[in-house]
Amino acid sequence: MLWTLQKIIEGALERLSYQLITYLPPLLAAVVILAGAWVVAKLARWSFTRIFKGIEFDRWLRRSGVTTMLDPSGRLRGTEVVAQTIYWAILAVGFLTALNAFNTQLTSRMVETAVLMLPKLVAAVLIVLAGAWLAQYLGRSALLWAVNEEIPSPRRVAAVVRLAVMFVAVVVAADYLDFARNVFLAAFVLIMGGAVLAGSLAFGLGGRDALGRYLGGQRSEDRSAVPAERSLWTHL
Amino acid sequence: MEKQAPQNGPLEEALTISRADIVIGIPSYQNARTVAHVVRAIHAGLVKYFPQYTAVVVNSDGGSTDGTREAVLSTRVEDTHLLLLSHPLFPIHRLSVPYHGIPGKGSAFRLIFQVAERLRAKACAVVDSDLRSITPEWVDLLVRPVLHAGYDFVAPYYHRHKYDGTITNSIVYPLTRALYGMRVRQPIGGDFGISNHLVARYLERNDWESDVARYGIDIWMTTIAITEGFRICQSFLGAKLHDAKDPGADLSAMLQQVVGSVFRLMQEYDPVWRKRVGSQDVDLFGFRFDVGLDPIEVNVDRMLGLFRRACVDLGEIWALALKAETLREVRSLALLAEKENFRLNDELWVRIIFDFACAYKERALDRGHLLRSLTPLYLARVASFVLETQTLYSPEVEEKIEHLCRCYEDLKPYLISNWDGSGPETAETDRKKSAGVMTGGTPDVVDAAKNH
Repeated sequence: MLWTLQKIIEGALERLSYQLITYLPPLLAAVVILAGAWVVAKLARWSFTRIFKGIEFDRWLRRSGVTTMLDPSGRLRGTEVVAQTIYWAILAVGFLTALNAFNTQLTSRMVETAVLMLPKLVAAVLIVLAGAWLAQYLGRSALLWAVNEEIPSPRRVAAVVRLAVMFVAVVVAADYLDFARNVFLAAFVLIMGGAVLAGSLAFGLGGRDALGRYLGGQRSEDRSAVPAERSLWTHL
Repeated sequence: MEKQAPQNGPLEEALTISRADIVIGIPSYQNARTVAHVVRAIHAGLVKYFPQYTAVVVNSDGGSTDGTREAVLSTRVEDTHLLLLSHPLFPIHRLSVPYHGIPGKGSAFRLIFQVAERLRAKACAVVDSDLRSITPEWVDLLVRPVLHAGYDFVAPYYHRHKYDGTITNSIVYPLTRALYGMRVRQPIGGDFGISNHLVARYLERNDWESDVARYGIDIWMTTIAITEGFRICQSFLGAKLHDAKDPGADLSAMLQQVVGSVFRLMQEYDPVWRKRVGSQDVDLFGFRFDVGLDPIEVNVDRMLGLFRRACVDLGEIWALALKAETLREVRSLALLAEKENFRLNDELWVRIIFDFACAYKERALDRGHLLRSLTPLYLARVASFVLETQTLYSPEVEEKIEHLCRCYEDLKPYLISNWDGSGPETAETDRKKSAGVMTGGTPDVVDAAKNH
């Protein structure tokens, strides 16, 4: 009985020591790699922040119009974005290297998948970012147009434009990643088709009178008639 | 006497004439109704005042479909039963040619200048094709200072209704005067006389593809003439009565083109305007007299309504362009319940324009968006001006404009400090700082500028 118990304990200790011998060094190595990556990332972020501030990177971005292009609200700080990107990129590389230290099938597959997915993921993120920028830009254009043309609820008009552009960007990104492709495409077709139909009906009903006048040959008279309330606007 | 519309390019057509002393240009688009009168006035003016000179009248057309070009070519001065005591020694040629490129007034002017340069004209003048008040004397008043007095640029000086030319009165004239120190009363009048040297200078520039091709052309011409040391003067032309601008045009875009050109030129001529303090009169030709003017109807309620709605909807955009103090004052205006009490005072208006100029330079947001967001503020200023001057006569209104001009000049230090980036932050940055998002501080120079 005692002998059996001793055997079990010895086996457990053996397995533990084997596992410790097998996994502890890579774990320690992974921790060291992660810690090293974290320190390097911090150092890189600090250095790049200092360097970019020194060369007035934000000011240059703002003056060249890049800041406005990327972020129409003008709140974007280029230095911060670049430094944070470098920070996270170093951490990601560190994480993958740490995983690779285990040299198991699972970790190797994870690293491989991440490396293979990375370009696609970056492209998808870029598509969404470009969509976000375009949505902001067109949304603001729509807002200004609606305000100046006295269209009711200009903020809603802008919001609809922003949403539509963002939706298209997400559909494109999802399609690129092969992620729920059919669901997104079906939703896209349904929504866009509905919007076009609604727009056509609204335009057709709203523009019926104008079209009638146009076909009746009254166009030229209409163009020369200036409404009284706009007359101020006609003189520079 | 008249030439048919050319089959070749306009410059080739001009070459068949080979040389002319005077070129008068008429940019046009859908002006069949009024252009004949303009052509007759120019023809009579050339015959009466410059019979010894060779002259060409060039109509630069933007693709009219209403017979504008045909009207230019077929108009006969004899139709007016005008008794001309002098007769030209040389025939007055007439061309009507379509311009190419970006559709707009500036592109039309460019073609006229190219013809003038090709013909080695000593003097060139341009007049609008929608003028109803043009007389033969206009030709004399625009061309003679160039031909006989050595001036390079003749700006018009008109009597206009107090509510006419509001962009001129509230932005372009006072701002140009404060910046460059010359009191050119109608810097975007549209009717100018230009010497051959200045024509050559205009043509050698490479910014024709910008807003200069459109309504930015007038202030562009005036600013270059002032800042590059050309001799400038003004001619009193009487009243300016003209048709409405193209009613189909987006008038917010017109404001954007004019103001955008002013701001862009501010950047280019930064070293010039920075040094100039105060302003001086510009020589004025012509005998001044009072004239009757077309009344102009103004819908103040509509303007104020648009401004109040914009205060709600465009606050986020204005916060990027305006300084915190300026934005606060603008917002407080929207709360005024009584229409009659609504006043956007001179100082606030000047600070708005200066803030926008700095935001344009710093690209605080997309420039097109920035300029379009000025429209409701401009309408608020016009509404305020109308309410303030509705019982006033012309001379009193001129005094008001003069006061505004002095305000622009007095606040120039405020502009310079903000232009250099040492002024107060925009409302958005200010908000972020208050929220602790950013660190560091900048000196508040508003009060210093005000006290200056």
